[in-house]
Amino acid sequence: MSKHISSLAPSVVVDTAAARVAVSQLIGRISLRARGDLAAVGNAIGVALPTKIGTCAKADGIEVACLGPDEWTLLVSLNQIEKVEDALAALYPSLPHSMTEVTGREVTFTIEGPQAVDLLSIATPRDIASIKVGEARRTLFDGATVVLWRDAETSFRMDVWNSFAPFLATTLETGAKELAAELA
Amino acid sequence: MIQIHCPYCGETLPELEFAYAGEAHIERPLSPSEQSDEQWAEFLFLRENVKGPHFERWRHLHGCGRFFNAVRNTITDRFYITYKAGEPRPDLATLLEEDK
Amino acid sequence: MSKYRLRGRGRVDSSKPVVFTFDGKPYTGLKGDTVASALLAHGVHLMGRSFKYHRPRGAIAAGSEEPNALIGTRRGPGRFEPNTRATVQEIWEGLETTSQNKFPSLKWDVGAVNDAAYMMFSAGFYYKTFMWPRSFWDKVYEPFIRAAAGLGVSPTEEDPDTYASRYSYCDLLIVGAGPAGIAAAREAAGKGLSVILVDENPEMGGTLLSEPQSKINGKAAWNWLEDELAALQAAGVKLMTRTTAIGYYHENLIALVEKLTDHLPTLPEDTPRERMWRVRAKQVVLAQGALEKPMVFHGNDRPGVMLAGSAQTFLNRYGVKVGNTPAVVTSHDSAWYAAFDLQDAGAFVQAIIDTRAQVRQDLQDEARARGIPVKLSHTVTATGGRLRVNNVRVNPVSGGTNVGAGQWIKCDALLMSGGWTPSLHLFSHTKGSLTWDDDLTTFLPKDTPEDCVITGASRGLWGVEAALRDGAARVGEALAKLGIGSSASEYSVEDDRTGSGVMMRELPTDRSPGKAKAFVDFQNDVTAKDLRLAVREGMRSIEHVKRYTTNGMATDQGKMSNINGLNIAADALGKKQPQVGLTTFRPPYTPTTFGAFAGYHRGEHFEVVRKTQIDAWAEEHGAVYEPVGQWRRARYFPKAGETMDQAVTRECAATRASVGIFDASTLGKIEVVGPDAAEFINRMYTNPFLKLAPGKCRYGLLLGDDGFIRDDGVIARVEEDRFHVTTTTGGAARVLNMMEDYLQTEWPDLNVWLTSTTEQWSTVALNGPNAAKLLAPFVEGIELTEEAFPHMSCVNCTVAGYPARLWRVSFTGEIGFEVNVPAPYGRDLWEKLWEAGQQYDITPYGTETMHVLRAEKGYIIVGQDTDGTVTPADAGMDWAVGKKKADFVGMRGLARPDLVAPNRKQLVGLLTEDNSWLEEGAQIVFDPKQPIPMKMVGHVTSSYNQGTTGRPIALALVEGGHSKMGETVYIPMPDRTIAAKITGTVFFDPENSRLKI
Repeated sequence: MSKHISSLAPSVVVDTAAARVAVSQLIGRISLRARGDLAAVGNAIGVALPTKIGTCAKADGIEVACLGPDEWTLLVSLNQIEKVEDALAALYPSLPHSMTEVTGREVTFTIEGPQAVDLLSIATPRDIASIKVGEARRTLFDGATVVLWRDAETSFRMDVWNSFAPFLATTLETGAKELAAELA
Repeated sequence: MIQIHCPYCGETLPELEFAYAGEAHIERPLSPSEQSDEQWAEFLFLRENVKGPHFERWRHLHGCGRFFNAVRNTITDRFYITYKAGEPRPDLATLLEEDK
Repeated sequence: MSKYRLRGRGRVDSSKPVVFTFDGKPYTGLKGDTVASALLAHGVHLMGRSFKYHRPRGAIAAGSEEPNALIGTRRGPGRFEPNTRATVQEIWEGLETTSQNKFPSLKWDVGAVNDAAYMMFSAGFYYKTFMWPRSFWDKVYEPFIRAAAGLGVSPTEEDPDTYASRYSYCDLLIVGAGPAGIAAAREAAGKGLSVILVDENPEMGGTLLSEPQSKINGKAAWNWLEDELAALQAAGVKLMTRTTAIGYYHENLIALVEKLTDHLPTLPEDTPRERMWRVRAKQVVLAQGALEKPMVFHGNDRPGVMLAGSAQTFLNRYGVKVGNTPAVVTSHDSAWYAAFDLQDAGAFVQAIIDTRAQVRQDLQDEARARGIPVKLSHTVTATGGRLRVNNVRVNPVSGGTNVGAGQWIKCDALLMSGGWTPSLHLFSHTKGSLTWDDDLTTFLPKDTPEDCVITGASRGLWGVEAALRDGAARVGEALAKLGIGSSASEYSVEDDRTGSGVMMRELPTDRSPGKAKAFVDFQNDVTAKDLRLAVREGMRSIEHVKRYTTNGMATDQGKMSNINGLNIAADALGKKQPQVGLTTFRPPYTPTTFGAFAGYHRGEHFEVVRKTQIDAWAEEHGAVYEPVGQWRRARYFPKAGETMDQAVTRECAATRASVGIFDASTLGKIEVVGPDAAEFINRMYTNPFLKLAPGKCRYGLLLGDDGFIRDDGVIARVEEDRFHVTTTTGGAARVLNMMEDYLQTEWPDLNVWLTSTTEQWSTVALNGPNAAKLLAPFVEGIELTEEAFPHMSCVNCTVAGYPARLWRVSFTGEIGFEVNVPAPYGRDLWEKLWEAGQQYDITPYGTETMHVLRAEKGYIIVGQDTDGTVTPADAGMDWAVGKKKADFVGMRGLARPDLVAPNRKQLVGLLTEDNSWLEEGAQIVFDPKQPIPMKMVGHVTSSYNQGTTGRPIALALVEGGHSKMGETVYIPMPDRTIAAKITGTVFFDPENSRLKI
């Protein structure tokens, strides 16, 4: 039976001495696009929008990453989605923007362990070292577009559209085992 | 595999994150219906085929998603500059001079 | 103990015997041996047959440049690899190796008849011989060439090994761990830089491994080496052995292939066989050393004739004498040292034959002291011996060309050295320029556009001390660019072996040059005669000479042959070498497995496969899949024993009879939001969208600005400023890219944003007369009646407890709904509908049934019924084009002269007269009796015989088809010609009566 992955069923993909990869629980996600008075947006959602691409901000249960000059991803708990959406909707007449819920779109892998960076480097062309702790980037992993969040030196989250998740899980599993064999 | 500087992200990144998007500074006429057949054919089909510095577009597809412009030498693959969409066409002579 | 092994000598472990086989016969070598060194220890020189003439060949070198000793290696089922260099393959207990290009045996080979016909197989043989008569090509020449072609035997089984890849970024990459590379690494170590030092050999040291006599800074070479490597390791330098830098690409990207398991007796779990590293280094130091040149004389390919430096390597590194009574022929000082080492190791060197009249006195003195006969101003004109050299013909030369009488000298090995060629392969990959050095008679590196320095023997420096000093100094330039100051360490070396020599082309001979078999390219069997013939026949460019003769085109990439070939061609052309130029070196440096390039991408992991959240259900229910773009989609759901036709026929009938359920999640979806959303969509699509009311859907046709159909889909206005656009499955990424392009670069003033929501939603489609009845009980917030929720409506509601975007649309001609729920809930929704649907005999259907049902209704599939040259009018879809719009993408294009010309190919229906099924792609003619070649007027785009109309139907693009209704066209097939009548494209329910609830 081939691999299938759903964020409704968190699971461990692979756990070796090199790295542990797991599928995270479903979390609320909003793709926000806006221009102009970003401070007003920040006030509405309760966290100032970071404006440098790749940087993140966190407050009040909301985590924000700036992914483009007018693009942010907001992570909120599932029961907070409506509150954030309402706040943004109230802002819309004065500051038109695009708020699109994409909670179901993605699967998040957590990737952690001493060789987490090496594991990412098996299929990420960019230099992982250029993503500082606390930052996030949209990039590539094994041919799929992903958003990579660096939570600590050896701890990452990788968001990917759910249809790609089984394929990437296989890559991550192969890599984690290979790296563990290298340590042994 | 070359590396490309994204003028929006401010980072120089592997080519694999980018997609080529054809020649730069070709504007879609504001009133297409007023274009003659010849003018429209030129807009659609006629492109430079430069051996040397070439004005072209790229998109940071697996990144910020922005289209931007670049001047790249088609012989060496060397990028002289990348700049945001909408910014004026840089002077080629100055670019080549600076590159020396 | 084997005959030629010197116990305790070299770097092999004499306490660890290793048994392997060669052509079925077991041999005992020592841990650390290569196949070549282990065979040589047993006096086995014959290791293979050459490619063209099947001449017996032995190892000529000791490293990766070896052109001759190519063997097959086997490790159990599936693990067979041809063309492995015996000089590189390390032995391990149980390794099976075989020789190549021989039949029936290595010693008696039938193909060697080619050798007897040497005069026939000269340069350009293939081009000349196989040109004429033309009629011979298919039946005679091609089979002959195919049978003769190829080195070794391809493996027949799938490779069970795994391969890996890794991206890496570092400050400094040093290629080659000889004295220059190690000295460079030492300067860079401990300065806070990330430094990688790679070497293709199992251990680092390069030439030091073959020259243990030298003392570096007072320390014995091997002790120095051990200490240095330990120090590098301690300083955090990444040391990679068995790792070949195969290519140098733009902006300091170097590809490394690391071999991980080929040397191991047992394969460790989860360990790939090879790993491709893509290293982006800020600075690169190339320290790849130099390659020894063979000498070109008649019989220079006989087993036992080998490079002097390689003989020295076999002796000092592996403890193997390549012969007991060797002779040496040279034009360079370095071979004298090989003679001395062998003599000191107990061999009896028969003669040192040097083409030069003048040789350093100290070398002559040392030879005399050892009792080695020296012949200056002498040439070699032949060798003897059948499968191994047993004598050499030596002639005096005067005045450079006057060759005196020959004398045969007995020997069991002949060591040759024509001097050394800097290894410039990677430097050349950088598009680095070369400069000809008259003193060294070789090309040296000049400028490179990359951030790279080249050091040591690679730039023509000779001797360990020079290499060490240069490595330490040159890396300083790289370090300075990294902002690190350094002062080169000092090195002094005792017993260093510096030297010089002269360049020779073919050695002078008293034979007729036309009969001499003096090999230049050993692997491709190219002789000096071939090169001169090529020039006589008009080849002027070195690139032409190369291709005409195949010199340097073998798997060794001309490592040995290029420079000799150039010298000879230049002489034949009467030009200097730099005027003739060098052929281009291209990656890979050494032959590389496909596995290393593929990495993880093989078998099921060959390319990205996307799966919907409902895919698992389909898999559990026996779906047969087809790839659509990157997606795998359920094509049909066969019941036990059903063929595809039977399954699809059943699915079609069941859907029209009651209700079918279909996973439409792969459809592209784009959320278009902002005050200018309607304006943007109105500009992108042909149809008018400004007045579409929220809660309504409209079909949209997307053109390119050239006027041709690019994509289509249903677009829903969810709210005033929010549209939900759907695209074809395969077109999703392309359409979003196109929209972003127009939005970002043509209309940046529009206040609207695009977000891909393809994967936000699982989309479950229900179609059939019972679709509404099945769905209604699950829906909260809207009545599924004709009045409350007519065809082409959309609503945000709750379905099965999940927030949903419910659409009433139909791609089948039946009552249809598409239920969009957040993706992860898709499977649960599907299962609930499936369970409740049992009362209606609900049937899951796949893409094939979807295709049939839509074709019956004449709905096009973009990319199947269109091919990038079809306009809306061609497709009979003028109705979808807003006539009153000021502009939309493609509007101006539609008015282009060619697009309004008469007789364009137009989409029509076809019904065959004999009720037979047409093949998709089949060409159409008006007159089947016209002479061949017939005028083709169109082709079949869609054709099905599993539908519900009781007969096969087809769609086709036919010239002027719209005005030919009822006329007959013909489809010529290999066995017969099929007649078909042109009809409209709607085959089923033309009144759309079935869409009503």
